[in-house]
Amino acid sequence: MPFVRRKEKRELEIPTDSVSDIAFLLIIFFILTTTMSKLTGFTAELPSGAAAQQQAAKTDAKTPTVQITNGKLLFNEQEVSMAALQERLLDLQLAKKQGEERVVMLETAGKVDYQIYYETMAAISAAGGIVAIVEEGE
Amino acid sequence: MKLRKSRRVAPAVPLASMGDIAFLLTIFFILTSNFAKDDTRNIKPPNARELAQLENQNVSVSIDADGGVFFNGRPVASPATIEAGVAGFLAGKKDMKDRMVVFRCDQGVDKKVFEPVLAAISKGGGVIAAVGQASQAKP
Repeated sequence: MPFVRRKEKRELEIPTDSVSDIAFLLIIFFILTTTMSKLTGFTAELPSGAAAQQQAAKTDAKTPTVQITNGKLLFNEQEVSMAALQERLLDLQLAKKQGEERVVMLETAGKVDYQIYYETMAAISAAGGIVAIVEEGE
Repeated sequence: MKLRKSRRVAPAVPLASMGDIAFLLTIFFILTSNFAKDDTRNIKPPNARELAQLENQNVSVSIDADGGVFFNGRPVASPATIEAGVAGFLAGKKDMKDRMVVFRCDQGVDKKVFEPVLAAISKGGGVIAAVGQASQAKP
């Protein structure tokens, strides 16, 4: 009687040798695409729409007003530099005041780029003021 | 003389759990990653003194150097769209921290472009978190 050779059964296995390589590739991808830098800036809640118009109507002579006209900076109708504006705003001690007393009107006319606008808004915010934008033509 | 055979086990680093560790790290990075929603390559941020750190938010509005306006990375045609979008995203949110809208704008953009956008964010109920670069004080 001839001997029948037994068939060697191969064990079925999922090849897992390269799993760690794939995982590490994914890690490298996420490390490279993750944003580590923190944003810097300031926060401002602007009185908007009808509220802004009411605010503008309520404005009396005492409300501080910053004007930006064709790159020139005016504080209560006097031309000032950015550093002087920051000092003048700090002198007002807006942070210690409440509600409407903290409002600073920001008026612009002519060509105004975002750089000077941003610096002005940042100065008002840093001094504890609330910016109220007066749109042209109001 | 009898020579003893030394039974030294070949030193091997256990690599079996390496894949598990790697996948745990992957999951960690997936959960903590913050994918950029905006294309900010064409935005040169303005500079100012005394800027604070801002937390990244889910809602963002950007204006690039060409005056293109983007809401959460998608171009929009008018400020009215931004107002509606901001109002939709912030519906039911009362806390000031939850109503933050990250605002990025190129420093050379004219007010005719950015002022209506700022007003739209405000009308939509957003608190503006204006992004800029901190500059050193001039001596």
